[in-house]
Amino acid sequence: MSSALRSVAVLLALAVFSGASIAWLAAVVEGDIADNRREAELRALRELAIEAGVRVDALGQGDVLFCEPGLAIVRTAAKGYGGEIVAAVAIRGDGRVSGVRVLRHAETPGFADILAPDSTWLAAFRGRAPSDVHAVTGATVTSRAVIAAVESALETDAVGPCALAPSGEDL
Amino acid sequence: MTRAALARFSEVALRRNPVSAQLLGLCPLLAVSNTVANALGLAAASAVVLVGSAGVVSVLRKLVPADVRLPCFVLVIATFTTLVNLAMEAYAFELHQRIALFVQIIVTNCMILARLEQVAAKETLAHTLLDALAASVGFAIAIVALGAARQLIAAGFPLAALPPGAFMIAGLLLAGAQFLRQRNAERELAD
Repeated sequence: MSSALRSVAVLLALAVFSGASIAWLAAVVEGDIADNRREAELRALRELAIEAGVRVDALGQGDVLFCEPGLAIVRTAAKGYGGEIVAAVAIRGDGRVSGVRVLRHAETPGFADILAPDSTWLAAFRGRAPSDVHAVTGATVTSRAVIAAVESALETDAVGPCALAPSGEDL
Repeated sequence: MTRAALARFSEVALRRNPVSAQLLGLCPLLAVSNTVANALGLAAASAVVLVGSAGVVSVLRKLVPADVRLPCFVLVIATFTTLVNLAMEAYAFELHQRIALFVQIIVTNCMILARLEQVAAKETLAHTLLDALAASVGFAIAIVALGAARQLIAAGFPLAALPPGAFMIAGLLLAGAQFLRQRNAERELAD
């Protein structure tokens, strides 16, 4: 076999083996990854409900995830630095924010720490108007996107009837 | 571990530390060293990729023609990186959420390619694995030290958690390591 052919053959064999092993592991962990993503979202929503002192049994589909007198949880999104930032915002009956959790983002690691569940910056939204929350130095685009997302959540039409209505409509 | 192996291990992990002596792998070092937890996570992921790909390359070293060895090495590293990334998302989801981007670019960590080219492509499997493990430990020491320093300093001085702080603190740590190395060399001369 000529040396060029041999090179091609080795590279090709290696590529096939590489593709096969990745495909194999991807198939093995597919379910675990989907479970993790779903669980992370559910955990975020439960934390929001606990902060607001409300029991959440079932979650709705679509943008309004939870809708009871005194609390609405809305899914919202805005464009961050690395892509879309999807967040869940809990809104109390008085129209104030009771908590924010980021569900999905593609921000640069390090900058994204302000989006973590234990972030003190996210906690600052609690009880404040989003415009009163300061952007974070060094993560301006990311933090402004979250502020914009929370603002748009407060403007969601469905929130008013949910949080304020005397008897909430379960979705 | 034999004496010779132990000496070799500390030579690669400490005296010729991939980061502080050879200045390799600085990109992930600076990017993910903002906290100790992130630093440990990336060090562990890099270790799996390095040891795994060094092992494979060492086993295949006689089969791979010299003119395509670099594409082959990169392919092996990329495969291990993708596998580690998938495994992390399945079994260490929280950590993955924080450092996924930098796990993916372990592929471009020249520390790993350097170990494959200098050691795995020439040496036996046992020797290669020992070397890869030592280099991983050396990388972990450097990145965790920087992570710890940044996390501590950031408590009173927030700049330390941001990229400029990473450069400053990494520079100071490297200067410190260089100082120790020179002092040791002078002592050896004096002896």
